[in-house]
Amino acid sequence: MKNNWGKLFLILIPIIAAIAVMIPTYRAYQLEGKLKDYRVKADAAGNSADSLAIMEEFRNMYGTDLDEAKKNQLKLGLDLRGGMYVTLEVDIVKLLEESAQREAIDEVFLTVLEKTREETSDSDSDALDIFLKHFNEIARPKGKSLISYYDIGDFREATEENIIERLRQNADDAIHQAAEVIRQRIDQYGVAEPNIQQQGNNRIILELPGVENEEQMRSLLETTARLEFHLVRNSVDIVRAFARIDNLLAEQARRRAGIVEEQPVAQDTATQIAEIPAPATQIDTMQTALLDADTSLTDTSGADTSKAADPYEGMSEDEIMKKHTSEHPFTSLFATYFMQPGDAGQMVPFYYTTDEIPDGEYSFRIIKDSIARFNEILNRPEIKPLIPVDFKITIEAKPDSRLFKQSGIEVFEIFSLNREPELTGEVITNAQQSFDPTTNAPIVNMTMNDDGAERWARITGANVDKRVAIVLDERVYSAPVVRDRILGGRSQISGMANSDEARLLEVVLKAGALKAPVQIIEERVVGPSLGQDSINSGVTASLFAMLLVIVYMVFYYNKGGLVADFAVLLNVFLVIAVLTALKGTLTLPGIGGIILTIGMAVDANVLIFERIREEIAKGRSLRSAIDEGFSKALSAIIDGNITTGITAFILLTLASGPIQGFATTLLIGIISTLFTGILITRALIELLLIKGGNEFNFGQPKQIQSV
Amino acid sequence: MQYFKKTNINFTGYRKQFAMFSIILTVVGLLAVFILKPELGIDFKGGAEIGLAFEKDVDMGKVRSIVSDLNLGGNEIKSFGKANQILIRVADVNTGPDKIQEALNKSMSENPYTVLKIDKIGAKISNELFVEAIWAVLLAIVAILIYIAFRFEFDFGVGAVIALVHDVIITFSIIVITHHLGILNLELDQALLAGLLTVIGYSINDTVIIFDRIRENIEKHKGMEFVKMVNMSINETLSRTVNTTATTTSVLLLLLFFGGPVLQGFAFTMFIGIVFGTYSSIYIASGYVIWNHIRTHKKTDETHGKKTYSTAKA
Repeated sequence: MKNNWGKLFLILIPIIAAIAVMIPTYRAYQLEGKLKDYRVKADAAGNSADSLAIMEEFRNMYGTDLDEAKKNQLKLGLDLRGGMYVTLEVDIVKLLEESAQREAIDEVFLTVLEKTREETSDSDSDALDIFLKHFNEIARPKGKSLISYYDIGDFREATEENIIERLRQNADDAIHQAAEVIRQRIDQYGVAEPNIQQQGNNRIILELPGVENEEQMRSLLETTARLEFHLVRNSVDIVRAFARIDNLLAEQARRRAGIVEEQPVAQDTATQIAEIPAPATQIDTMQTALLDADTSLTDTSGADTSKAADPYEGMSEDEIMKKHTSEHPFTSLFATYFMQPGDAGQMVPFYYTTDEIPDGEYSFRIIKDSIARFNEILNRPEIKPLIPVDFKITIEAKPDSRLFKQSGIEVFEIFSLNREPELTGEVITNAQQSFDPTTNAPIVNMTMNDDGAERWARITGANVDKRVAIVLDERVYSAPVVRDRILGGRSQISGMANSDEARLLEVVLKAGALKAPVQIIEERVVGPSLGQDSINSGVTASLFAMLLVIVYMVFYYNKGGLVADFAVLLNVFLVIAVLTALKGTLTLPGIGGIILTIGMAVDANVLIFERIREEIAKGRSLRSAIDEGFSKALSAIIDGNITTGITAFILLTLASGPIQGFATTLLIGIISTLFTGILITRALIELLLIKGGNEFNFGQPKQIQSV
Repeated sequence: MQYFKKTNINFTGYRKQFAMFSIILTVVGLLAVFILKPELGIDFKGGAEIGLAFEKDVDMGKVRSIVSDLNLGGNEIKSFGKANQILIRVADVNTGPDKIQEALNKSMSENPYTVLKIDKIGAKISNELFVEAIWAVLLAIVAILIYIAFRFEFDFGVGAVIALVHDVIITFSIIVITHHLGILNLELDQALLAGLLTVIGYSINDTVIIFDRIRENIEKHKGMEFVKMVNMSINETLSRTVNTTATTTSVLLLLLFFGGPVLQGFAFTMFIGIVFGTYSSIYIASGYVIWNHIRTHKKTDETHGKKTYSTAKA
């Protein structure tokens, strides 16, 4: 009897596990349906404020649930849901041309480039190697060397090896830079669940579900990034503007309070991030020693500026929170700090509860979940005019890594910048990540050309102790404090949390010196209607196929056929569950793989049942016929599945795109066929045998049934 | 339910005739492929392709003249499943689809369309995909040869691979001919290639099951004539062969008729492949093993008088 429990568990455990894996998919499906209902309601609402409120209601009730479910649901490929698939390649030849000294470029060099371009267009080899080969063949006999064209002019000696190393480094940086810029742009464009992957050393693969405006997306991908230096102006002016936005929104909410009760989002943002250390990066000249900028934070609830007339007196914490968020619908999205004047630079949380806004420096932090809402509010036509014209609000590109490590919260700094850049990136000649020789802390050295150095000296001189933001593509990568006037164009940036951060900053700064020229080499767009058509026909065909197999098996193998049907259905379910658990993507060729799996699974059962029948025909008892049937069919099933598995595995590793999707489900299918076809079927037959005594019909003719 | 009780069909007796038939079919197939030339799909050829669904049925001739006026090179216009859906292909990768859309918006404003799909494949990618595909096929064949040789005997591996190459060539040539006759749109693209590779997997599965039975019977019926034993093995597995082939082919026929244009090429390839895969497991793979057995045994009998398998020659 113990043994039978084991069999029952063998059958039940995979079923339960598969159901558990599929729950988020079901939940996401359910909530998407609800979302649709809300959308319809919102569209019917008539005015934009009401429909906004309706959508907000959905977000408050189901938003996090939906996000969570979506994270773990079965993902559909672009061919099924519609979207855009793009392969981008960094144009190494163009990069080689652009990084050469403009005045040195001559006929010989251009011929080499021409030859290189020709060969790279249909070769897999490294473009730089091809370039060097042609350079050696064409330019060297003419007495040219790489030094004639490239100037690496910083700290290192200009030898041929150094130049080659630098060119390789440039190519490497270009792909990182392009990937970084594209990631940010896609993020800002608001594509849901984009997939951005770096492939090989010069390609980026993008999967953008639901993107329909491919022309806009294309220009987004192909425009080169712009690097700028902006002065940070987190002054009282911007805090006043924020307060005005609060008032306007609160007013709007009050006006429509009769219609829909506004439910504020991200209620606890302000408190959640009230314990964040101060900005930690700063600019230093080469000579100046690094200054530890890790400012400590003091608890200032007692020293709050609003203390004088506390409107929250006598309220519970929850009530305070509720009142605060409804009165400050905008500023409660993020945390504001007042920087106390003086050397220590202590940060005091500021809550907008008073009309007296003290003059001085401020600092703002926002958690990731609130960014979309923050941007959405700022972009409203009635809000835009409230921000002074010479300001622009920009959010940090990356969350604070130290804080993320400590608490797992992704917190971004919000910057209010001078709208006009102080300097653009073209003046940068090089950037190099390094380590401070004395403290071993990661630093980035940045060099500028003469023109840039001159302007940089003026800018830094006028803004000592202020922050200058390094902005690539409208995102702030760092906003170091200027320690003193920087002469000679050589600056050192310190205060990065680790060398990865320093490396990113290096890549970003190089975007000024070297624009990564990317080109789209493959682009596939699937319209939503084709996606829906494919799902419909794929699912219909699969259902028909399954129905046919099920009926046939029962017709031919009777009760045995029922067992096989159960095994086949379980098999399909397991394949989908495993694919979901592996975070795989179901594509149309993937459905093809599942259909083939049905075929293989049926084959396994057919093999076993035929063998059992054969053994019964030989006069064996049912019991031993089953034993013999399973053990004799085993080798054929295993060999057959392994050979098909080999093909699937080769496809999976070698091929890309649609074939890969097919191979993935097929490979999972083969493994699960071996499991269900051999173990589950057998366990089920034996369990049924206990209940049904010594009879089990495999559809064999009656007269040869054993007695 | 049972179709066959205990059959004793003489499969092996006609192996020479069927071998001839297969050789002729393969040669004709290869010739057809070389003469008609397989049409490469956009994946392997490069270029731009745009699929549109119009509101009303569309006049292909009109679309053709609009597109050819744009001078985008190599244009082709085909029906895409339904009467209101078309597929336009041009050589100009970068601006082609945009120009086509612009022109159609202007000239056919009375019949608006929605975009079903756009594919733009640069020459570099298409070359790579093609090379990748060839490698995948070759590697799969070699890997299978090694596995079968390891699990059975080397000549079994050779027999399986000959059967498999036979299946691939015949399936492929039928695809090329069907496409050429305009019955189905079967260009050589990634989906079709996936179908061909699955044919390899299926064909080998089918062969392995017969080989497995031969392997078992060699042990069990020592002293039986080899040819007879192979024939017995085929007969013993016949019920399974018929059942599995019947279910899989009907599944594929369903896919062919209801699977939509994207799965159609795949389903057709698989269908043809499975029919020939089943046939070749019996006549080609097993046939080769018998032929090789007789050949080596004649030789070994003459030189050493040794026998590889325990066969009792009459």
